[in-house]
Amino acid sequence: MSQRFNRRSLLRGALGGCAVTLGLPALDLFLDGHGQAWADGKRLPVRFGTYFWGLGLTDTPAGGSRWVPTTVGPDYEITPELEPLRPVKDKVSVLSGFRVIGDGRPNLVHWTGHAAILSGVAPAAINRMDGPSFDTRVADAIGGGVRFKVLDASASGKVVSYSTRTGSAFATPDTTPVELYTRLFGPGFQDPNRPDWTPDPSIMLQQSVLSAVTDQRQALLADVGRADRVKLDQYFTSVRELEQQLALGLERPEPCESCAAPPEPEAPKRGASIDVVNSNTRTMAKLLAMALACNQAKVFNFVHTPGASETYIPGESKIYHQITHDEPTDARLGYQIETSRLAGLVMEGLGAFLTELDAIKEGDGTLLDRTLVMAFSDTGYAKIHSIENIPIFLAGGAGGRHRTGQHIAGKGEAVTRVSLTAQQLVGVSVGEFGVGGMRTSRPITELMA
Amino acid sequence: MLKWSGAAGAALAIGALTGAGGFAVHTALAAPTASAAATSGAPMIVAARRLTESQYRRSIAEVFGADVRVDGRFEPELRDEGLLAIGSSQLSITPAGFEQYYRLADSIAAQVVAPERRDRLADCRPGSDAAPDEACARRIIAKVGEQLFRRPLTEAEIAPRLRTAALGAERTGDFYEGVALALKSLLVAPEFLFRLERAEPDPAQPNQYRLDGYSKASRLSFLFWDAPPDADLRRAAETGELHTADGLRRQLTRLVGSPRLRDGARAFFTDMLQLEHFDGLTKDPNAYPKFSQALADSAREQTLRTTIDLLIDKRRDYRELFTSNSTFINRHLAAVYQVPFTSTQEWSPFTFPKEAGRSGILTEVTFLSLFSHPAASSPTRRGVKLHEIFMCEPTPAPPADVDFSKVQALEQGTVRTRLLAHMDNEGCAACHRVSDPAGLALEHFDGIGQRRMFENGQPIDVSAEVNGARFVGAQGLGTYLSTQRKIPACLVRNVYAYGVGKAPDERDEDYLADQTEAFAKDGYRVPEMMARIAESPEFFKVKLPARARPATTVAAAPAGETGGMP
Amino acid sequence: MKRSIRLRVALALAAALAAPAPALAAWTRGFAVEWYEPAMYYGAKSGTTEPGTDCPAGTNPEPDWIKVLIDAGYTREQALWLRNPANPTRSPVHGQNQMAFRGAGRANVYINPTSTPDGGLVGVSGDIGEGLDLDDDPTTGFVSPTGERGIDNAFYRALGCWKTFRGPPRLSSGALSSNDAMRDGAWTMVVVLEGRGQDPMNDDDVTVGFYLSQDKLVKDAAGGVAPDYTFRIKPDRKLEAIFKARSVNGRIVSTRPMDEVWMRDAGMARELQLLKARLDLTLQPDGGLSGYVGGYRPWKPVYDGYVRARGPVIEALTWVRLPDVYYALRRHADYSPTGPNGEKTHISFAYRVSAIPAFVLTPDAKRSARATSYKALARPEDSAPEPSPFNVVDGIVVPKGAKAESLPESALLPPSSTTAAGGAP
Repeated sequence: MSQRFNRRSLLRGALGGCAVTLGLPALDLFLDGHGQAWADGKRLPVRFGTYFWGLGLTDTPAGGSRWVPTTVGPDYEITPELEPLRPVKDKVSVLSGFRVIGDGRPNLVHWTGHAAILSGVAPAAINRMDGPSFDTRVADAIGGGVRFKVLDASASGKVVSYSTRTGSAFATPDTTPVELYTRLFGPGFQDPNRPDWTPDPSIMLQQSVLSAVTDQRQALLADVGRADRVKLDQYFTSVRELEQQLALGLERPEPCESCAAPPEPEAPKRGASIDVVNSNTRTMAKLLAMALACNQAKVFNFVHTPGASETYIPGESKIYHQITHDEPTDARLGYQIETSRLAGLVMEGLGAFLTELDAIKEGDGTLLDRTLVMAFSDTGYAKIHSIENIPIFLAGGAGGRHRTGQHIAGKGEAVTRVSLTAQQLVGVSVGEFGVGGMRTSRPITELMA
Repeated sequence: MLKWSGAAGAALAIGALTGAGGFAVHTALAAPTASAAATSGAPMIVAARRLTESQYRRSIAEVFGADVRVDGRFEPELRDEGLLAIGSSQLSITPAGFEQYYRLADSIAAQVVAPERRDRLADCRPGSDAAPDEACARRIIAKVGEQLFRRPLTEAEIAPRLRTAALGAERTGDFYEGVALALKSLLVAPEFLFRLERAEPDPAQPNQYRLDGYSKASRLSFLFWDAPPDADLRRAAETGELHTADGLRRQLTRLVGSPRLRDGARAFFTDMLQLEHFDGLTKDPNAYPKFSQALADSAREQTLRTTIDLLIDKRRDYRELFTSNSTFINRHLAAVYQVPFTSTQEWSPFTFPKEAGRSGILTEVTFLSLFSHPAASSPTRRGVKLHEIFMCEPTPAPPADVDFSKVQALEQGTVRTRLLAHMDNEGCAACHRVSDPAGLALEHFDGIGQRRMFENGQPIDVSAEVNGARFVGAQGLGTYLSTQRKIPACLVRNVYAYGVGKAPDERDEDYLADQTEAFAKDGYRVPEMMARIAESPEFFKVKLPARARPATTVAAAPAGETGGMP
Repeated sequence: MKRSIRLRVALALAAALAAPAPALAAWTRGFAVEWYEPAMYYGAKSGTTEPGTDCPAGTNPEPDWIKVLIDAGYTREQALWLRNPANPTRSPVHGQNQMAFRGAGRANVYINPTSTPDGGLVGVSGDIGEGLDLDDDPTTGFVSPTGERGIDNAFYRALGCWKTFRGPPRLSSGALSSNDAMRDGAWTMVVVLEGRGQDPMNDDDVTVGFYLSQDKLVKDAAGGVAPDYTFRIKPDRKLEAIFKARSVNGRIVSTRPMDEVWMRDAGMARELQLLKARLDLTLQPDGGLSGYVGGYRPWKPVYDGYVRARGPVIEALTWVRLPDVYYALRRHADYSPTGPNGEKTHISFAYRVSAIPAFVLTPDAKRSARATSYKALARPEDSAPEPSPFNVVDGIVVPKGAKAESLPESALLPPSSTTAAGGAP
């Protein structure tokens, strides 16, 4: 008998026509992550990652932009700075116009932007966040059951991570491809396709929790009238579903079809120029993607270049950070030429990263289809340290939950809406995110399948 | 007769169902008939009301402490017959919803057994922290369980949790891990997540049933304090005191006299005033740049503070809600009301002068902004909501073929002139004649509640007429409303329906009319009205539900498989 | 004097200072400043750096830093090594400390600007300028864009082609960065207008007060500052500016210069003293207030402010050799407070100011504020200087407790540096 439940049918009380409802809103916001799994009969996890790059993308004070698509909704057109995303465009949603609302806290340059995106509140001090970064909540919710709860990597050679549980101590990333390779595929690598797998012992304890509830079922239903019986029946059906999910955990998982330990990468060139950073990005992306495919981890944080990025075009004497501030807007073209050129080069890093995730086959799609990557920066228009119009991308299908390929115009709304949406897309149990003026309980429903 | 019109009720129910996701109920598992319980005299479940988010949070705070974080998603509530409290009687829990409760339970249990809090659980310690200890586990489960289930646990309810605790302690080598598992099982149980109201045979009247003591206690504490019954109420339930007139009155005096009455009133008015609309509220940043989350939060708080201060703290006449201009504001609200904020505290009492043209709750930012458009005011929506919320008179949906273009053309004329076009069309006029006038009287306030006297260069006319009564502006409307008998009658109906969790029907007409009369004689004082209702026999009256018929659909399937109806 | 009499006199004085002026005001209006910047007329037709009537060669170009270092005595090889971003002498946030020590004998040019020759900062060569006639002499100064003669703004003449100041209103990088900070809540300036007549649009006796407020500006959803918020005046012993003026058809012009006023600077200097201060503000149809406020400001604190803001950073980002700014200000300074033969320590200057309607209250938030002095109510702890986010010593960032110094080998050895906490630079 098919195990597929049709979640879109209306419910009417099966007995006597009394209307019993489930109180679901017009859009089904409660995304069940297992529809896809059951259809294939396998357990395929959803992965989540953050991708950070420094110095935003290029706007102009006069109101133009080198990156914001002109149309809103699906099928947005590729703008000059988004060119490197063209190969994966349909799997990437672009979010423009979102800003940090600081509630009077000063804009700590090259820090407030992404600290607010990650922790939900404008920070009080530089290099500190006022709460945990939300990737830790995602790791707690979905990152368990595998070798690494979370992976942190940095491509610019700098020891920089924005993942924190306490707001003051940040994770320590791997900063070279060789380091990352050693951690993932060196000694300790757990081949998921090995024959000696054993189930997680805590599952049986969870089953005991639920059986203490279902034990009462007979007694409860004996005491109840018709309408309430239907309600309680539904409740117990919901409990049964969770029991079945747990039961799956006791079964041996399907082999990871694409997992193959890769060869060790070469020792990298040292340097912070953009070509080296992008090359590291591609190599590390390959390693991360294979680690996900081999079920070594489900959550990662990647920093391409840090906040006040000091990358530069090889051979030039000015670093990106300085160029964003001192290059004037070209009078004829209306934007900063060198800045925009560097922004495009930086975006090549993101394009390469996503392409590597997309290159691994999984199920009837790719690894990227079962991942959600939230890519974001520290500022909007870097010249003035603007924390408005901070570029954010949501890439990857999140196991079918993310309606990809759309441009969403935030119109001055808080960046926390995007953070909330990302968390809900990967199944974190969270109803609201953010503090004060950025507190929101409204995810971006257009992006949610 | 104050009745939630059936047609509108159906429209609401359909509205709630249309496009909603659902899932197929499988009734494959047979259940015994309810008649067995009725004849045996055992308590029957006569209502199952899902706990609201606010009740869930308060329960956790009451049982485990206010410092326990409740971070999770709650399933949406359903507004039926005007109240979420009535809708809660119809809601169950979806699989996704249950998973959320499960994760919440996990997080709460983990916090609760953490070393800094575990002493709150019970006054016992295990023999060893690393091994099972049945005696102490039993005390914890019984004590916490009684507070969560809102009544003492039966042995059949304790035993499986004891087993879980023992298993957990054994497997993990940590007594408190085992306790956490047992607590988790209590937190996801239907006896916690639903308010299961039970009826027992009434010893004073053979063949009649009455609500059992614990169900009465729950009804009282959720109505007056929006909280599970405290130890004193549970004791009164246990000893049978609540079934006596004196015992009931003693508890009512205590409940009404407590500052916690404010919590109950807040929860009630949050429901009645439909404040959950704040969750999805957005405004166009170009039309209303002052609008922000901070302003929305401030407006909501202003409305609740003002209402509670007027009706509960000061026990004034309910009708003053529509005319009294004494309120509370903060700095954000002061900027929208365009008045100076002369205080160094976050919130400050404030009285609008007569010239401001404001009139009670009708001209607070809440009412004006919730029921208008993102970039414009809306007399129709304000009028409709005024009738729905304060007069218990919902309005049917517009016909499918209506042409909105005339109203949308914002560049010409005033909203009034555009709306009056409806009045020519009989199909439209029937409803608009009723709903629009009140809204038109409020047109001196824009879509976020700021005062404006002109629109597109034309002065705004705020005169209106309803059933021959003429009035001008918000103050005229407020005065008019305070003469309408429907309004206090609607409040009485709402308090009763909120308390019992059911929509009243024709048989309740006389009772509600009597209660409204008493409300009037008493000077329309709200706490006294709530106490009178709770003291009346109708508050606890029991209607035995229809017996459950034997299973009629798919035959019982083997365990592990499920059938479904598409 | 007997102690009790002294006390009574002190109390009476305090009461007189604290109480509203004896004369009644018939009307008051409050405003919050939402933008203010030095009045620098932009003479090109588009862009922010184009050649124009003000600066025919456009905004001053970036100095050739290699040449600057060679002129300071480094070899070409050393200069190239120092400027290469791959090398550790460059901090992405603080710039390059080595730039400080290019004066004669490795002197620190930021604190000893005359240890290096005057490079000749190119100033404004046009005739049009914005601001106020400070010396009542129509023959000195610029012509305003609307044809008024005698606009005294030597500050503009000296520095108007400098990249940080050049640009159309609200588009120069210096104005953008300091107003951004203000609008994010770093400080608030409020204005109180008060008049004895009946009509703000026409009143012979108008008083205008500029004060600080501890209440922050609130941004609105459209990117501007939301009007109608309430601000309490924060009494300050120094930063307060009160003007006597007259309103004619809504244009409020000083009736006499004020000897000395102070306000919070819209730039690096932090505190602005204006001598012989005046204003020219217009009430706008939307209820706002905008125009000019100006006077003679001391020029050395301007230079010092830039030094304190990290000399190398200012030089690199604004394309200037800071000592040239010192020389240019000194050269154009046009006022001596001690008389015509005294040292010209001050330079003519004006702000463009824009303010939105707001409720401005007395410090205790009880009443609408009058345009009177609140200095007497200031407590010493209220004037604490704003903390700097960096440890700047003599114009460069050094580790806490260290001196700013250059060693003979420092050209080739990186100075010891700290990386920021948390692994995030």
